[in-house]
Amino acid sequence: MPELSYREAVRDALSRAMREDENVFIMGEDIAEMGGSMGVTQGMLDEFGPDRVRNTPISEMALVGTAIGAAMQGMRPVAEVMYEDFLTLAAEQIVNQAAKHRYMSGGQLKVPLTVRTQGGAGWSPGAQHAQQLEAWFAHIPGLKVVFASTPTDVRGLLWSSIYDDNPVLFFEHRTLYGLKEDVPEELEPIELGKARVHREGNDVTVVAIGRLVHEALAAAEQAESEGISVEVVDPRTLLPLDEDAIVSSVKKTNRCVVAHEAVTRMGFGAEIAAVVQHQAFDYLDAPVERVGAKFTPLPFAPVMEEYVVPHAADVLAAVKRTVARGD
Amino acid sequence: MATEIKLPRLGQGMEAGTIVRWLKSEGEQVEKGEPLYELDTDKVTQEVEADASGVLLKIAVSEGEVPVGRTIAVIGEEGEEVSAPEAQTEVDEKPQEEGSRAPARDEERERGKQASTNGSEQVTEIKEPGPARADGRVKASPLARRIARERGIDLAALRGTGPEGRIVAEDVERAATAPAVTTVADRTGEVERVPLTSLRKTIARRMTEAWQAPAFQISMSADMTRAVELRTRLVERAKEGLKPSYNDILIKVCAAALMRHREVNARFAEDAVELLPSADVGIAVAVPNGLIVPVLRAAEVKSIEQIAAESRELVTRTREGKLRQEDLEGGSFTISNLGMYGVEQFVAVLNPPQAAILAVGAVEERVVAAGGELTVRPLMTMTLTCDHRSLDGATASEFLRTVKDYLEEPGLAL
Repeated sequence: MPELSYREAVRDALSRAMREDENVFIMGEDIAEMGGSMGVTQGMLDEFGPDRVRNTPISEMALVGTAIGAAMQGMRPVAEVMYEDFLTLAAEQIVNQAAKHRYMSGGQLKVPLTVRTQGGAGWSPGAQHAQQLEAWFAHIPGLKVVFASTPTDVRGLLWSSIYDDNPVLFFEHRTLYGLKEDVPEELEPIELGKARVHREGNDVTVVAIGRLVHEALAAAEQAESEGISVEVVDPRTLLPLDEDAIVSSVKKTNRCVVAHEAVTRMGFGAEIAAVVQHQAFDYLDAPVERVGAKFTPLPFAPVMEEYVVPHAADVLAAVKRTVARGD
Repeated sequence: MATEIKLPRLGQGMEAGTIVRWLKSEGEQVEKGEPLYELDTDKVTQEVEADASGVLLKIAVSEGEVPVGRTIAVIGEEGEEVSAPEAQTEVDEKPQEEGSRAPARDEERERGKQASTNGSEQVTEIKEPGPARADGRVKASPLARRIARERGIDLAALRGTGPEGRIVAEDVERAATAPAVTTVADRTGEVERVPLTSLRKTIARRMTEAWQAPAFQISMSADMTRAVELRTRLVERAKEGLKPSYNDILIKVCAAALMRHREVNARFAEDAVELLPSADVGIAVAVPNGLIVPVLRAAEVKSIEQIAAESRELVTRTREGKLRQEDLEGGSFTISNLGMYGVEQFVAVLNPPQAAILAVGAVEERVVAAGGELTVRPLMTMTLTCDHRSLDGATASEFLRTVKDYLEEPGLAL
């Protein structure tokens, strides 16, 4: 089994899809000669040439709009938006165009587009280059939203996203690019809408996405040593959401913590909490706890950034609140 | 700021402890980590260390039994004033309608302000952890409510151990297994008629039916020394996994014996005796107000670990009311074990049409004569009830002898 970093796993999925299918191509800012600002597409220009590895002007609206047009013409474009903060510039194209065409044409058109993007704190990128905006797009009917947390997952999910006939927003986390893992020789597609149970436990379910999956696993390890058995579930796709996996886990553990790096307020965790309380109300033995960033723009200063975004200790504290006894 | 010393929960299932004596007296200086008092639990007597430094301002409970979480003392600064625990019980809160804006919050805020401005006159309130009520509504988790509803337990009578006195599932579970003090008959009352549940009706009908069969009983005691060793090794092997019980070993041993004595693994069918091909062993499981016997299939071909896992799963599903009809049908033999209740020996009523049922008592040390000497051995007494229409005394005795031999030398069951 080859060892791939998260970055290499993304590249592997893109390259395999492009080798197999001439309709797949990539486009984005600085993705050709420079290999992308995060180095994900390095070397791909040499293999596939400038027609299929296309540099674009610095206009997210233009690049996503162009990709939507290509998708509607039968191509399977993968557009890279350098930072997810810049999705705001392409929001018109994603929200009002990509998400709506299939519906408004009565199914005559489809938009098999994948928009890859990345973000996340942990390296002092400041307030405009590290937001976690996945929940914004999970609010839009017509889109699919993926957030992968491991090399194996990112590869299998990206493949499925490329071959999905609907527009997919594909989120990667900046601090996970270096994460390495043995992955199977053969790429195994991962169905969108299937959660992954990373660790089984009996006392509390932690539903975590992105970087927080790893923080939750570290917290679970610590909790284990203190006698608390934690189950860690990564939904992997926010849309569609594997409600069954989450609910059945909570029915088993009777307690739930949701964890993401995005700000807590109005976040994805609130949706999970709502699903859990509605479908597992009679199984809850403690209020659902939410872990996320404090409600503030991300500070530049490392100590302040560290303070604002959640870490394993925050997940552990939330886990302990759910099993707390006495005042 | 004064620290309330509460009775700690020192182990799973500890609900109360008895304070034997205090090692410090009121007014004495105490360092965090220093032994503060002696506590007697149902397991051990031990010294408990102070979890704060300061002056022992007040000993609220000088000796006697105290529930977990109750404030037993206060440690603070010299001269700090502390009110007696009996003087104040509940925080005075105005009742309010559900859904109305909480005026109590404003009062709390007001109190908070006062407390922060009058730092010099701090008063520590010692609250009794009373029943979990706010505005007359019992505070309980949804899971606790569901369990209480299913088992007919009154939440209002329970004391919550969750945050802010919330009743959580564990509190209800504990109440469900606690001796039912509330069922003591009301002396002024009348005869209480408890209508039969459908389970109770089934038990009544089946047991009456069983009583029609001509039954006889035989008893034997087995020296469990080797079985105890075997279980110890299995438990070590299991590590964090499932720990096999004596009952699991007994199921395995009985299954092996049943394969050798097929007349016991049988059913009486009016015009014939049916000898059954595998040991499908029924396990008698106590449930609230009843008894259910789910069947563990083909125990003779399963390992003790498999049996342990399956029986645990069956018992859990039985208690949760999640059995399927097929879990209850077609047993060839039944084991009823009351050892965990300390029963030495008893006679079980047949589970028709099965030919026999084994009643098992506790493994306990008894003085026995061996080789002309008195020694102490772990013994277990088993009583086999047999349907005399299909089974005779000699055959039954041979079977029970085999079970005894296997328990005394488990290797023979291979």
